[in-house]
Amino acid sequence: MSAATIERSLWVVLAAFMIAVPWLIPALINSFWVSVIAEILIWSLFAASVNLLFGYVGLLSFGQALYFGFGMYGVAIGIQDFHLSFWPAFGLGIVASMAMAFLTGIFAVRLTWHYFAIITVVFSLIFYFLALTNKWLTGGDDGINFSLPPTFNVGGFNKSLTDSTFQYFFILVTVTFCLWLMQRLIASPLGKALVAIRDNDVRASLIGLNVYRLRLIAFVLAGFLAGVAGALFAFFGRYASASYMFYHVSGEAVVWAIVGGAGTLLGPLVGTTLFIIVREVVSTHWEHHSLIVGAVAVLVVLFAPKGVVGSWNDWIARIAERAEAPSVTAKLRTDP
Amino acid sequence: MDKLFLLAMNGLIWGLIIALIALGLAIIFGLLDIINLAHGDFFMVGTVLAWATLQSTGSFWLAFIVAPLVGFLLGALIQRLIIQPIHNAAALSIVATFGLSLILQESVRITYGPTPGRILSPIPGTMPMFGVDYEVYRLFAAAVAILLIGGFFLFLNHTQLGTWMRAVRHDRDTAVAMGIPAGRVYVLTFGIGFALAAVGGVVAAPITTVDFRGGVDILPFCFMAVIIGGLGNLPGTAAAAVLLAFLEGIIQSVADPTVARIASLVLMSAVLLLRPQGLFKGFTR
Repeated sequence: MSAATIERSLWVVLAAFMIAVPWLIPALINSFWVSVIAEILIWSLFAASVNLLFGYVGLLSFGQALYFGFGMYGVAIGIQDFHLSFWPAFGLGIVASMAMAFLTGIFAVRLTWHYFAIITVVFSLIFYFLALTNKWLTGGDDGINFSLPPTFNVGGFNKSLTDSTFQYFFILVTVTFCLWLMQRLIASPLGKALVAIRDNDVRASLIGLNVYRLRLIAFVLAGFLAGVAGALFAFFGRYASASYMFYHVSGEAVVWAIVGGAGTLLGPLVGTTLFIIVREVVSTHWEHHSLIVGAVAVLVVLFAPKGVVGSWNDWIARIAERAEAPSVTAKLRTDP
Repeated sequence: MDKLFLLAMNGLIWGLIIALIALGLAIIFGLLDIINLAHGDFFMVGTVLAWATLQSTGSFWLAFIVAPLVGFLLGALIQRLIIQPIHNAAALSIVATFGLSLILQESVRITYGPTPGRILSPIPGTMPMFGVDYEVYRLFAAAVAILLIGGFFLFLNHTQLGTWMRAVRHDRDTAVAMGIPAGRVYVLTFGIGFALAAVGGVVAAPITTVDFRGGVDILPFCFMAVIIGGLGNLPGTAAAAVLLAFLEGIIQSVADPTVARIASLVLMSAVLLLRPQGLFKGFTR
């Protein structure tokens, strides 16, 4: 079997599985796991925002939770205080997080590496503490609970996320659409320019790329991904809370993205899936599941530093190589 | 006025303890070039070791020997097993130390338990100071912290290992060419970094609570000290820790502690953007 066939059949299996989840999973395990898979999709999108910055631009953000939180609060405050319907509230969440990413990005992308990681975490901490103190607006640690407005309400056709199958597909379609957008971005000339900056920012600026502006664009786009994830999570949980803006949330996304494989489209999805499944399976039997999460993070860093998907890609590349040049390997093997 | 004095004094003493912990973070940051997300938990392990020593031997004072020793050994072991293999990939070190942080917190939660505990002050009583009855132990803690910080700088400037540490940080390749065993210096530095945080934990244990989440709050504070003091500027780091905690103490006398924390964070952003070399550049070295 050639490398391309393996990859293509895996894509087909994955797509078929994702579509079959609302019927397959309740039959195999129970319907609770459908919502776990929906949650995995949302957090994968959040991890993808870390990956866009780190894997493709070379900026390690430790403050993506800020934009996740703005997405959540945009939705919750929009519905609770402004009495918005579903789509305007969704839009408010996304716009709020992108605006915040733009404002903080103006300052943050002036810095790189250590300093960038630290300034992003500092910005997110400032707003975390602000959200904690301004309880009148944010509800602090307790958060804001709201009731879901209908998603579609056109001429007797009424659908809302309270229908769990509809909710699953709404999340699946939104996340897939965002990852598709990200894929298009990376394949575009803009994406190539971002990768050029990641590989060597001095050279990129010497060939005429505006490094600062490109980094800022990438930062706002990552804010978009995190904002959509936060808005989806607000709809999913029907609430928003300041605790999701703490640096631990950002840190988990960094771990998921790097363990899955930074700089690969599916890496964050794989990393997030791995950690959330471990958490869900182990936490029902043993309350100290964080121990396993920590151990997995350390072990992957030690033994698969390119992440799960990165190592997988290496393996596929090796198969492809062998298929291309079978005589060489055969000759090597006969050598004593 | 009494409240202001009390909070400013508490802030000052807390700052001295933080300075001790932040120095540990700064040498790890400066020498190994990694962001150590587990450093707050090294402090937390120190508080737990203080509690464990008190429970098993009945003496709190023994913890001043046990905690740094255990911390040093754990730190050296961690460096050898986890940090060394990934030394050249700084992003991976963040993931590894994040994982390490979870492992330490959860191990303490399993062994020590999830509920925060308190250690009774080993020097009970208060003494009058400027019209306030001030806890004697806090004054003692300040003295210990000052002694340890002084001792650390003596060690750094007047011993062979200290000189090696400065040399490797300054120029690793030349240091290796001069015959300095850089690999061993890394191991020892990480061990000393852990030991400093752990002994900080012992000093702080009777003032704060013993809790498996005790390091979560300390970590950002230490990073603020390292950044505001200037990366690699160790006296600057210590000064920044004291200054920050003192300022937070003063702000706390008129506003919420969270407001004080926001003020420090804003100060830190300003330093990062305007003076990334730190506030005290030119003041030392």
